[in-house]
Amino acid sequence: MTSDNDVALRVRALESLLLEKGLVEAPAIDEIIDLFENRLGPQNGAKVIARAWSDPDFKARLLANATDAIVEMGYEAVQGEDMVVVENTAQVHNIVVCTLCSCFPWATLGLPPVWYKSAPYRARAASDPRGVLAEFGTDIAAEAEVRVWDSNAELRYMVLPERPAGSESLDEEALVALVTRDSMIGVTRALNP
Amino acid sequence: MNGIHDMGGVHGYGPIIREEDEPVFHHEWEGKALALARTGLAGGHFNLDEFRHAMERIPPVEYLSISYYERWLEGTLMMLAEKGVLSGEEFQARLDEMSGDALSGDGA
Amino acid sequence: MKITREVVQGLYKQTGTARVDADVAASFKVGDAIQARNINPTGHTRLPRYIRGKQGRIATDHGVFKFADSLAHGGGNQPQHLYSVRFDAQELWGAAAPAQDCLYIDLWDDYLEPA
Repeated sequence: MTSDNDVALRVRALESLLLEKGLVEAPAIDEIIDLFENRLGPQNGAKVIARAWSDPDFKARLLANATDAIVEMGYEAVQGEDMVVVENTAQVHNIVVCTLCSCFPWATLGLPPVWYKSAPYRARAASDPRGVLAEFGTDIAAEAEVRVWDSNAELRYMVLPERPAGSESLDEEALVALVTRDSMIGVTRALNP
Repeated sequence: MNGIHDMGGVHGYGPIIREEDEPVFHHEWEGKALALARTGLAGGHFNLDEFRHAMERIPPVEYLSISYYERWLEGTLMMLAEKGVLSGEEFQARLDEMSGDALSGDGA
Repeated sequence: MKITREVVQGLYKQTGTARVDADVAASFKVGDAIQARNINPTGHTRLPRYIRGKQGRIATDHGVFKFADSLAHGGGNQPQHLYSVRFDAQELWGAAAPAQDCLYIDLWDDYLEPA
């Protein structure tokens, strides 16, 4: 494995050449990094899910046309152009993977965690989703249906987790805190209040 | 291509390693590598499908042993070289120059 | 094009869709039984090995999209329908998989033939 120093130097060398050639300006590089570090992330997706839990009309729009419903909430960004949201219920559990690379809905979930991009997850989520779910501590009833979504092409997928029991009295803002990134990938459930 | 990247159903990679409270980037260079790749895409020097294919062409042993953002970096370098934007020689020369600076910096 | 901060700001609004507004006929409709073609291209494809030769059913027609396999090699858009296709877990992984489990994957028209 390349050491971080070596690869950091390679990145600096490339950066210096692209700046010199006038292909990019330094503030543009900072802007891209800021976008991914601070503006795109699961905090966006959590708000979408909390709205869906609180507003049945929004939920219906989200499941019918996720792209438009998400844009309606202001999350219009790269790798969110064509979205599908799938709903977890007591009978159906959805889990998302990209077996070929690491496609991920950046607009609502940000960049994927390292485990999502790792070989063990990409290899086994497709063929042994129940084993993967067990590894994440998520028990699935034997009679439930597990649906794997391999986001290999142009659509990006997000899971609408089940609204946890005991959250009935919570408003939309309080619900946001129960929605984790992992629950929107489908490897876990939402948090209990 | 029937490459190492096509991982669905493969056995033997072991458990899924997770990190609590994982940062978006673990090193400053990771954000830069992503930004430079996006720059190449945004500038129209190569498209996303070509870029994905470049990363698929990283030799399998290397593909598995380097991190995600190193794949982005190597994919970007492959694309820029193949599109005639930045040759491998030009990149290597800059790397040599900068590592020389880094080495002499160590002794100063 | 030189990438400036302004370019980046504009860019990260949705501009990257591969969806195209083209009048292309669909070869399949929702509910059709299909088989994924057994292709082994040396170039880029989004048809993974574990799907090739397997039988499934069209679940959704997403509409017309540019074709990644072509665009990766300077071949143009080749716009065609992209479908969500449902495969039984047992079809993909054998009798040991739970009978009710399944996998959905997005496949372009060129990857499919009638089952």
